[in-house]
Amino acid sequence: MSEADMAIIKPEMMMKSYIWLETTDGSIQQVEQEIAMYCPMICHEVLQKGLGAGSSKNCAISLPQRVNPAMLSLILDYCRFHQVPGRSNKERKVHDEKFIRMDTKRLCELASAADSLQLKPLVDLSSRALARIIEGKTPEEIREIFHLPDDLTEEEKLEPLKNLMDDPRIRLLNRLYAKKRKELKEREKLKGKEVEERVDERSVDDLLSFINGKDHKVVKTSKSKKKNKKRKEHKNKVSHNLHSKQQGVQIVDETASSLGGVSNLPSMEDDIFSLKTDSEDGYVDDGMDPVLKEMLDREVEDFARRLNSSWVLSSGQERQPVHFSINGNGATRRLTAFQVMLGSLILLMVFGWQVPEFCGVTVKGNSRVRISGLTGTEGEDEWFDLSYLILNEASDPPKYDNVPADREELVGDVLSFTLLFPFELQLCISELELTLRGHKPLYAHIIELREL
Amino acid sequence: MKPGIDDQSKPQTMIQEKYTKRYQNLKVAEALSNNHLYPFACNELSSIIDLGYSQLPKDLKAFIFRDCLSAFRLLPEMNTSAAVSAANLLVKSVESAFPKQKKNLAIVEFKQAKVALKRRTKSHDEHIDLPSLPQDILVHIFSFLDLYSLLSSSQVSRSWNQATSEGSLWRSLFDLHFTHKVLIHIYPGIDWREAFKNEYILYKSSKMLRSGRGYCSYCDSVVWHDNLRCPKKQCRLKSGKKPLDLMLTHQVVNYLLGTTSSSDESDSEDEAVRGLWAYPTLQ
Repeated sequence: MSEADMAIIKPEMMMKSYIWLETTDGSIQQVEQEIAMYCPMICHEVLQKGLGAGSSKNCAISLPQRVNPAMLSLILDYCRFHQVPGRSNKERKVHDEKFIRMDTKRLCELASAADSLQLKPLVDLSSRALARIIEGKTPEEIREIFHLPDDLTEEEKLEPLKNLMDDPRIRLLNRLYAKKRKELKEREKLKGKEVEERVDERSVDDLLSFINGKDHKVVKTSKSKKKNKKRKEHKNKVSHNLHSKQQGVQIVDETASSLGGVSNLPSMEDDIFSLKTDSEDGYVDDGMDPVLKEMLDREVEDFARRLNSSWVLSSGQERQPVHFSINGNGATRRLTAFQVMLGSLILLMVFGWQVPEFCGVTVKGNSRVRISGLTGTEGEDEWFDLSYLILNEASDPPKYDNVPADREELVGDVLSFTLLFPFELQLCISELELTLRGHKPLYAHIIELREL
Repeated sequence: MKPGIDDQSKPQTMIQEKYTKRYQNLKVAEALSNNHLYPFACNELSSIIDLGYSQLPKDLKAFIFRDCLSAFRLLPEMNTSAAVSAANLLVKSVESAFPKQKKNLAIVEFKQAKVALKRRTKSHDEHIDLPSLPQDILVHIFSFLDLYSLLSSSQVSRSWNQATSEGSLWRSLFDLHFTHKVLIHIYPGIDWREAFKNEYILYKSSKMLRSGRGYCSYCDSVVWHDNLRCPKKQCRLKSGKKPLDLMLTHQVVNYLLGTTSSSDESDSEDEAVRGLWAYPTLQ
């Protein structure tokens, strides 16, 4: 009896049913049915179209576009292992760990192929592996690994950062803002109107108000600016903008009347004002003084322009005691790393702002910044390598063991700024810590800021 | 005389063992081999060294030394800039606190690591085109990420940026970070990302997240949190949706050294500053 049974059973068992699968490149594969049926998508196809589907070469089941032959074989290996019911969970786990060890490119292909075949466990597995790769990396590093283009504008990148500010930092920022206002008032009395000086102040003000509490407004304005496509016009008016920005600082505190009082290029201002009003359509008035709003708009627009403008080599201008040099024309190199731009912007602005006549900042290449006047000495060691901070180039930072006393506050303020962007420029803190280790009071200050 | 000496040495060895056991429970060494936790572990090591190296018993000092060396040895494999800066910080702590011989050994190790790292980055020159991942896969991947990684991803490229604005991601992060805030007005069309941002600012969360550490009351230990949860499965099942109590680095160090942690900010500052100038002569 049993032998007869065996005789009957055997041929049935021998007759494994196969399914024919066709990938988009036209190649057709024959796969055991039970393995192929592990994939829900194939299962549905077979069930939907009836038994005829996939039963022969001619009516092979065509697979979605994202499944190429290499991936198909990988997936089938996976299915072959897992569809066997007798495996323990531990065995499956061990197999999966080994299975998932492949380069990033294949992981991506695998994830998308598994998704199109609706094979959820494999999708989970590959997604987790990819998440583990992404974890803890900066955007630049992620871009490198996945070979992705850097196609976001700076505002879009700023968006998440701006949103995650902390209260202590806002306090710091306000403190700095107040200090700055005071200092500028003093300077206003003492000095004449040096245009280039103002450049830096203006930019810091941009930065400050851009970040400080007016964010939501600022974002709207900058976006509407984009729509108007007036950026290019403004680029041409760089120098004029710089001149007219002087107003901004005082105006923020004072009334509109002072506008008329300032002599520099009033016509340009009008131009800018008219541009402003255009873009203010559909713009919610949150009850602020309209002049103030306009000033802020201008700041924003300028800041946005700045961010999109290129940093330039200023090799011809080594020793410039007054300002940071950005050439509006000439050779430009666009920095892709957001951190470098913003980090350098901050450092440049702050250093340039505080004591412009002694402390000049020049940009060399796309990553080295010389902050002259910081140590009071001249020479190579004044080059403060931003790239070391942010881009991880292996060069030793110069040591600032002998930072003079009046610069202490300055450096402290720089550090405060870096804290505004906690996770992006967190590196900044540790690196600056290194360079300033020799200087005890500053180092204590760093630790204090760090614990905020 | 003899019993006196015995009495003195017994409590000492007990104390030493206590410290060593605590340190081992902290599992710093394991974290070093994890790509994501490496910077956190290095920062913790350097804090421990800064704040209390001189107070540690001899064998614990040996452990720390060993972990520093392995940190430097593992550095070339971690190709993130966060890892490099964390290692730099560690080197500086080592330079200021370690005795001469150990310091030199550690620095040699570090320099070798830097050279190896440089060699690695130079040979990394592939120009292959990766297939673009579909949006729903991206969202699925991002659902496994912690907050900072998600924010990093949002700045990578346009398609990734769009994927990160998916509400469900931020909703689960919100539930994770702010479980106590159950009384939120949930209306259709709520922007979870905005809601998260507002809560985050309100609770000044970033400070707490910087250490990577949390205290799990179920297993009664200080652990490296895995997206705010205890990495152990049993604890996760027991705790359900509740996140860990996050810890600051100096709290972890206090735990290790057995010093009472003052909740006062200024106290911890002083401690930190004092500890920094812990030259070997100060005992």
